[in-house]
Amino acid sequence: MEGSDTYLIRPNHQYKFKPAIVKECIREIVRERLSGMRYDPEEVPELCRSLGECVKDKVKSSGFDKYKLVVQVVIGEQRGQGVKMSSRCLWDADTDNYAEDIFLNDSLFCMVAVFGSYYY
Amino acid sequence: MHSDKKLTKEDTWRPAALRRHIREEERGDDNVRRRDDNERKPRGGESVERRRRDPEKESRRERDKPREVTRERRDEDEKDRHSERRKEGSRDRRGDKEKDRKDDRERRRERDKLVDGKRNNDDYKRRDREDKHEREKDKERHRDKEKVRERDKERRNEEDRDKGRDEREKERWREERDREHRPERERRGGEGERERMEKHESEKRERHRERERRKDEYEDKRNVKERRERHGDRKHPEVTDEREPKEEQRRHKEEKERRHRDRGYLDEKRKRDSEPRERRDLKGAGEEVRHHRGDAERAERDKHKERRQREEKEEEEEPERDPLGTSSKKSASDKSHQQETKTEVANDEDLADQEYEDDFEEYEEDFEEMDASAGEGEDEREPQHPEVGEEREELSAQRKEEIEAIQRAMDEENERVGTAQSRRATSREEEEETPKWSRGSEKSQSQSRASQRGMFIDFVAAKQREVSKKVSTKQKKRSTELLRLIDLDFSMTVSLLDLPPVNEYDMYIRTFGAANTKQAYVQCNEDNSDRDIQTEEIEVCEKWTQHPPEHSGACGDPNLSHEARNKSETSFDSQRLTAFLRSASQVMVVLLEEDRAERKSLRKLRSQTDTPSFSDGSLQLNTNLSFLYGRRISLVHFSQVQRHTMMSVHSPTTKPSAVRLDSSTVICIWNIWEPSRPQNVLVYESEVQCCCFSPGKAILVFAGTSVGSVVLWDLREHAGDHYRLTIGDDEWTFRQPTFSTDAAMAASSHVSSVTSVEVVPSTAPGGLRSEVPLLASEEESSGLSFQLASLDEMGVLNFWVVVELPKANEAGSPTDLGLRPGGKVKLLHSSHLLTAERVSPRDAAKTGPLQTLLLQFLPTDSNHFFIGTNMGLVNHETSHGLKAPPKCYSFQEAGVRPIDVTSIHFSPFRQHLFLVGCGDGSIRLHDVSHEHPVAEWKNGTAGEPVVSLQWAQTRPTVFCVLDAASTLHIWDLLKNDAEPVVTERMESDRVTAMAVFGDSGQQNSYSGIALAHESGKIEVQYFTRHFTVPNTVEGEKLESMMAEAF
Repeated sequence: MEGSDTYLIRPNHQYKFKPAIVKECIREIVRERLSGMRYDPEEVPELCRSLGECVKDKVKSSGFDKYKLVVQVVIGEQRGQGVKMSSRCLWDADTDNYAEDIFLNDSLFCMVAVFGSYYY
Repeated sequence: MHSDKKLTKEDTWRPAALRRHIREEERGDDNVRRRDDNERKPRGGESVERRRRDPEKESRRERDKPREVTRERRDEDEKDRHSERRKEGSRDRRGDKEKDRKDDRERRRERDKLVDGKRNNDDYKRRDREDKHEREKDKERHRDKEKVRERDKERRNEEDRDKGRDEREKERWREERDREHRPERERRGGEGERERMEKHESEKRERHRERERRKDEYEDKRNVKERRERHGDRKHPEVTDEREPKEEQRRHKEEKERRHRDRGYLDEKRKRDSEPRERRDLKGAGEEVRHHRGDAERAERDKHKERRQREEKEEEEEPERDPLGTSSKKSASDKSHQQETKTEVANDEDLADQEYEDDFEEYEEDFEEMDASAGEGEDEREPQHPEVGEEREELSAQRKEEIEAIQRAMDEENERVGTAQSRRATSREEEEETPKWSRGSEKSQSQSRASQRGMFIDFVAAKQREVSKKVSTKQKKRSTELLRLIDLDFSMTVSLLDLPPVNEYDMYIRTFGAANTKQAYVQCNEDNSDRDIQTEEIEVCEKWTQHPPEHSGACGDPNLSHEARNKSETSFDSQRLTAFLRSASQVMVVLLEEDRAERKSLRKLRSQTDTPSFSDGSLQLNTNLSFLYGRRISLVHFSQVQRHTMMSVHSPTTKPSAVRLDSSTVICIWNIWEPSRPQNVLVYESEVQCCCFSPGKAILVFAGTSVGSVVLWDLREHAGDHYRLTIGDDEWTFRQPTFSTDAAMAASSHVSSVTSVEVVPSTAPGGLRSEVPLLASEEESSGLSFQLASLDEMGVLNFWVVVELPKANEAGSPTDLGLRPGGKVKLLHSSHLLTAERVSPRDAAKTGPLQTLLLQFLPTDSNHFFIGTNMGLVNHETSHGLKAPPKCYSFQEAGVRPIDVTSIHFSPFRQHLFLVGCGDGSIRLHDVSHEHPVAEWKNGTAGEPVVSLQWAQTRPTVFCVLDAASTLHIWDLLKNDAEPVVTERMESDRVTAMAVFGDSGQQNSYSGIALAHESGKIEVQYFTRHFTVPNTVEGEKLESMMAEAF
């Protein structure tokens, strides 16, 4: 790569990170994995990891080319406490995006956020 | 030198005062001191550690930079000190010590003033004090300058000693460092490390130079002379060093003794404190450490000489006590602390110097330890002394050379060595980073030694590093280029999850709301549900209706169809029953009446023997009624069809009676089988001349009155519509005429009394009427379509049409004024004939006006009618068409005599034959076709006028004649055609009227005669059998008679 390099600084539209699709992926996986689960502090860390992996693989297979994915999974017990999570990103708003989905049941809440950052 | 030092000390502090002061301080600041001890312990440990690590720290300084400030500063100071040591050696040190001492004094003074608490935070205090000290020190320095000069000599000695020691130690340190550096380099390998090392070195050198310059400026002022002397003194250490091993032990003991002596229990205490620490510090080293310490002390002692030993110790210990006041270290560590505190109190340069010294001593210890552990001991150290001691100024150059040498060695090693040591290197690195040097120092040293022997630098890793560096630069370039194209921005703060806290109630409900609870009862009495319906249960059943209603009704129920049918049947039966009962009751009544009448008649027969000979039995109609009392029966008439129905006309009476019907005529309708009472009672105001029944069923009664009106009664009318009168126990209904021609049809009606009313037979001319068509016509006649003819005395013949209205009008008809309200049958005038003109005026003059007395229609042809006149003639006329011959029927002898024709009767069997009874008692038998009679009996009644004459209903040749003398003559032409066979004269009660009845058509044919007596009784006599049963020859007899006549 020399000075006359041409950089692909914008993803093709069809490979662009589409939050709706990703959200659907997350939703599907999370619903499948967590429905009916009870919060168990012993297994939640592992669950978080596997869930994250699962989501990551799924999103990867959705064909967002040249995207770096960051999957954040938070599972917490629902005991009536208030929880507030927010994120802030320094990124290129044209290409990068995120998708998040929340799953709630009686005993736990699960927030999965996928940040897709375009890798130029 | 020592004395000098002592002097200076004593100038400021007398030993006793000092001791006292210390004691006071200790007492006062016991807590603080202890705390300080505690604080210092880690620091002490650190310092020990540092002491040992320093050589490595030198090389690692870059990495250690982010450490806490104080230590960093110290590190820097250490570096400075190193360089100074190299260059200035004993001069610096001596100056430093002087300064230290001054500082110590200063500090002591200050500390008296200072609040004890301030000591707690050493760093802070020191920094605070720094400025103050600086100023004071400057003053002191000036003030002390003379003293210093005075003490120059001693100082020179001291410095020489110090310097000798310094240099010696520095050499050792350098060696050590080299040793350390080499393995380090070997371990780390790579040019980065080397670079760093180089950089480090150069940095150090630079810093050294800088400090040198500064210190030179500063110290040269004071120590111009000293420098000269220093060179001379430099040999001392060599000499003293040789004595070291021996002296060491002794000094050790002495030191302890001295401490006990000097400090008393405090010292002991301190020892106690320090010993554990010592042990801690030097655990790994064990005995060697002690030996080292001994070495260090020995070195000091070498420098101080025997004479000064004690004082120097004191000197060294005193400051140690003073600045920190709490330190319980042994001599070695004491010294280091003393110097540490000094460094911190001094200004930057001083501080550097002092710390340099401090660290220098630490290094000393390290070296000693290392020497001991390395087993090389003093052998190594000894030869190095001269080198170090030679020229401090050239140290940097020397070092450069050394570094170059080291690098060369490293390169060689790198070339020599293989590749597979990276793992070990990393482990080494980890070890280096672990802060366990106090314990692991030995290990690291042994490792370093080991690496010194078989260590190599990981060249592959270096290469990789280089490659990665290349890549990273490439990426960096890429990133810089890209960053120009791309705008990075902060995204909005996105709320990923916002789970509001559940309020207490919800939480409670969630946890306890449904989980472990079960609702047992509620207070609102919910389970006591009581449902009431006020309305009755609705009964449902199916019904049907239909319109128009058929046989069983307009509505019904399929479920109850059977019952309903039964009901309807019963109801239907009831209807039929009433009909049945009505008819049956009549029958029963008739039977009962007959039974009674029979018994009565039998009784009569027994009592009275005047039973007529022709009679086969009789019954009497009950005319003994109040309204019939005293009335003469003018007429008795039987129905042609209903042969048991009889009508009797009771003429009005002049006698007053209970019933006000005197002026009116009463007509009773009888059933001869029910003689007890009349079926209907009809009333009319005037006298009834003639009457007849309707054809067919006897439902209509027509009557002609003396006032010239024709009236009719409809017997079907309900009894309630008529005037009812209760007489005795019985209620009687007196029916007024339904229709009367009295007023309404005056113009067309008769003007004279009606002599005869006759129903016009509805038969075609010439057709023979049998019984069957008669019955059929009877059925037809129910339709009430027939004509009525009425004849008055004047010979006026009126024809009426009987019309039945479809609907009765209760209010009366406005047009038909003769119609009774509610009546349905009326008469319409049809035609009008005059029959009296025929009488010639000559005849009339002779006999008077012609009177038409009787009217009879030919039963076979309604067109022909016969009128009996008062001339003894019967005129034959037709209602329309040509006149038919004969014109009239007369006697056998010609001539007209004024004789009334009283009766005309057609034979029921031979309808062209009729009998005529005349007023003169003559009886004629005529054939319709002949003027003259078939037979004529002039004396049939013995001259008595014939009242009534009638053929018998069952025998064609039998007829009855009643004459005015109340004699009944029964003729049987078959037996005797000349005279009557039976002549019965009833004298007691005159018979005024007579009617023959009989029924031949029935199986039980009967015949009889009803006789109306003058008394008002009506007697029904049954003919005997020979008058009733017809004979086959009778017809032949009649035929023969006709043949004889013509």
